[in-house]
Amino acid sequence: MASLRPRSLALRALRTAPTSSGPLYRHTSPLPSLLPQRSPNNRSHSTSSVSADEVSHFSKLASSWWDPMGPSRILHLMNPLRHEFIASCLADSAPAGSPLPQFSTPETAANLDYLDIGCGGGIFAESLARTIPLDRATSAPTPTRAASMTAIDPTTTLIQIARDHARMDPTVEAHMRSGRFQYLNTTLEDVLAGSTPASASASASAPASSSSPTGHQQFDMVTLFEAFLANCLRALKPGGWLIGSTISRTFPSWILNQVIAEAPWPIGVVPRGTHEWSKFVNPSELYSWAQEGLMRAADTNVTRAGPSALDGMRWKCVGTIYVPGLGWKIVPGSEDWGNYFWAVKKGI
Amino acid sequence: MPKSNTMRSISRAALRPYICHSCRNGVGAGRRRFATNSSQTPEIYDVVCVGGGPAGLGLLAALRASPVTSKLKVALVESQDLRKARSWNLDSAQFSNRVSSLTPSTVEFLRKIKAWEHLDVDRVQEYQDMQVWDGETGSRISFDWSTETSPFEDMRTVATMTENANLVRGLLSRIEASGDENLTLFSNTTVASIENGSDLQSEGPDLSAWPIISVAPTAPGAQAQSQTRIAARLLVGADGINSPVRSFADISTQGWDYNRHGIVATLALGDPDKPSFPANMRTAYQRFLPALGGPIALLPLPNNHATLVWSTTPENAAYLKSLSTPAFLAMVNAAFRLSMTDLTYMMGMERSSDQFSHEDELIWRLQHTPKQSQIPPSAIGVQEGTVASFPLRFRHASQYISPRVALVGDAAHVIHPLAGQGLNLGMADVAALSRTIEYAVSHGMDIGDLLTLERYSSERYLPNAKIGGACDLLHKMYTIPGQGPITWARSLGLDVIDRLPFVKSFLMKNAEGY
Repeated sequence: MASLRPRSLALRALRTAPTSSGPLYRHTSPLPSLLPQRSPNNRSHSTSSVSADEVSHFSKLASSWWDPMGPSRILHLMNPLRHEFIASCLADSAPAGSPLPQFSTPETAANLDYLDIGCGGGIFAESLARTIPLDRATSAPTPTRAASMTAIDPTTTLIQIARDHARMDPTVEAHMRSGRFQYLNTTLEDVLAGSTPASASASASAPASSSSPTGHQQFDMVTLFEAFLANCLRALKPGGWLIGSTISRTFPSWILNQVIAEAPWPIGVVPRGTHEWSKFVNPSELYSWAQEGLMRAADTNVTRAGPSALDGMRWKCVGTIYVPGLGWKIVPGSEDWGNYFWAVKKGI
Repeated sequence: MPKSNTMRSISRAALRPYICHSCRNGVGAGRRRFATNSSQTPEIYDVVCVGGGPAGLGLLAALRASPVTSKLKVALVESQDLRKARSWNLDSAQFSNRVSSLTPSTVEFLRKIKAWEHLDVDRVQEYQDMQVWDGETGSRISFDWSTETSPFEDMRTVATMTENANLVRGLLSRIEASGDENLTLFSNTTVASIENGSDLQSEGPDLSAWPIISVAPTAPGAQAQSQTRIAARLLVGADGINSPVRSFADISTQGWDYNRHGIVATLALGDPDKPSFPANMRTAYQRFLPALGGPIALLPLPNNHATLVWSTTPENAAYLKSLSTPAFLAMVNAAFRLSMTDLTYMMGMERSSDQFSHEDELIWRLQHTPKQSQIPPSAIGVQEGTVASFPLRFRHASQYISPRVALVGDAAHVIHPLAGQGLNLGMADVAALSRTIEYAVSHGMDIGDLLTLERYSSERYLPNAKIGGACDLLHKMYTIPGQGPITWARSLGLDVIDRLPFVKSFLMKNAEGY
């Protein structure tokens, strides 16, 4: 199984200890598959975690995906904050000291591999790809420290839109040519199963380094939530971060996200049907699922992992609020009000 | 969304080819001949700035000064000879007639980008007080920071007078000090055309929504052979009131001509009646002359020199420019001292009468004019060749941005010079745009994308409209001659503001960009 796991898996998780990969993540290719072979009675799943209804909703928005004034505007505007949140996660795991020194050191070098699960039209993936240095020797370090980005989405139309748009930026296009940035029309489950045909060649040229999965917008796009989280964490290298953003399922959040945000123009800011209330997740639920997921990810064929799988785990969570006219603001403590970013660091 | 009506949708058709007037005839042939050349990948730059005036050079210097943006690949296209501007030199007793008043926030920006230290500071003059009064009614307002500073500190600077050439030379020197890596200065070069690029298909990126600038040397012998094609992730129009970049982006402007000319000159001043206190304190003077169509201002330069800016009708301007030097000086001194009636009379005197010279007329009329306090020292000399005039206009672009295009400085707005704000607004644009680019680079944004550029335009559009509108209002209020309700109201307003320190410091802070 030619898995792309060691180099580029991670949807939105960032890993920070590049040199400490265990044998499981040694960068020899092809890797021996050490993914657990799950028996039917294990906590495995046989279906994709992607909901068909939601895929069609976002496909309908496809033509206007990259229109800065279109229905995805609010998503575009959140992008800079995602970068800030990722930078804050990296700063957390870096040794105390300078946040962004002028010269590359092991702590600031661009050596993180990112995976974007459910990248859609590539709004976040492309912006992250832009921070990959064209020339690692001379470029100034970027806050994301990105070395590579793999973005996956099950919707063929969206992947095509993402690829077409990426070609309109010569920097991003160069990264696609070199293989440091790739869009794959696949699901996380297929990536984990190593059955993605396009992956082997594309990842072969990726420089060996650590993984940084990040998971962002629309965790409500995933139906089998618990199992999905475990898969994300499986994709993550030790020391990497799984990062996401979602919406909490509280009364203020219902008012903000269902009643106001999806109201007709000029009040509403997102198209009706974008959010599905029952799939929102509260931070406390997410936290316990993350713990569960870490243990599942450490399961093997014969043993189930215990609480020791949680050693070194870190949890971050911060709320974001959209203020019309001002844009998105990070507001610590507002997690229960609506949108929030969260991050789980897998112990080394 | 409220912004959507001020912003055009991002259609590729929005980008239209721009071909400058002088090249319109030759460009078709040139393009056909070099068809193979134009299908090649143009050299790709992150920022291409058209226009090497204070705004364009300021942007480049700011980008080079920030560690976040210093690695961006940048180019500047300027039709004048930048080497001449770089080696500009003038005797210490002489001053260029193109002088600007820099507000403290502009100076602060220049210090921040480490350009200020490249200016010749012996040629700049700070002033701490500005006397403004109404020639019709005598109402007066004094702008200084005395309400905000204790008597024991030095008076704060209201503004700093700097020759534009000194500023341009300093910025060039600052850019030079940043090294030549990732930097191209196209000197003596004009924009021959701006067009959209093409999709390079399997050969490379899709540049069909990217502006491709063809630049050509201005030298008369050079032809289309030497044209260079460059692609811009962000094309910045710092190219003045008739901006080619603005035409390319199909951005309209609103505005009008004031039907006024500004007369400038470098003057030598006589000794003041009483020495200034404290000794290093300098004052700028501006008197509104409603009967003559605009204000006259005398702004201090080093070594007891001053720069004159006199806004008046084109007829008066032509008359003043045709006078002999002694008569011109007499008119300048009269304009700060005599009543509107006397001044109007002198503006109509025969130019070269042996019996009645302007000088004698001024001396005679001053004997019958009440002595005023707070008037500038007499102008006693005009530096040769510095009397010039330029038309006063108001322009405001309907928007500052378009996909991969941003306008700064005069390309975006031209205002009445009565408050000396024009260059400062341009530098504030540049400061905001460089901050926006910095933010975009550190957040993975495309610096030419509308989502990036709207941060710049939302920061600058309203402040520029506000200052431009205020200057326009002042101009209109102070060109109404004679006594009447508006004259009384404006005088009452000036007197009230002068007595209300909070209102005054609010106005000053607005004018200074704080």
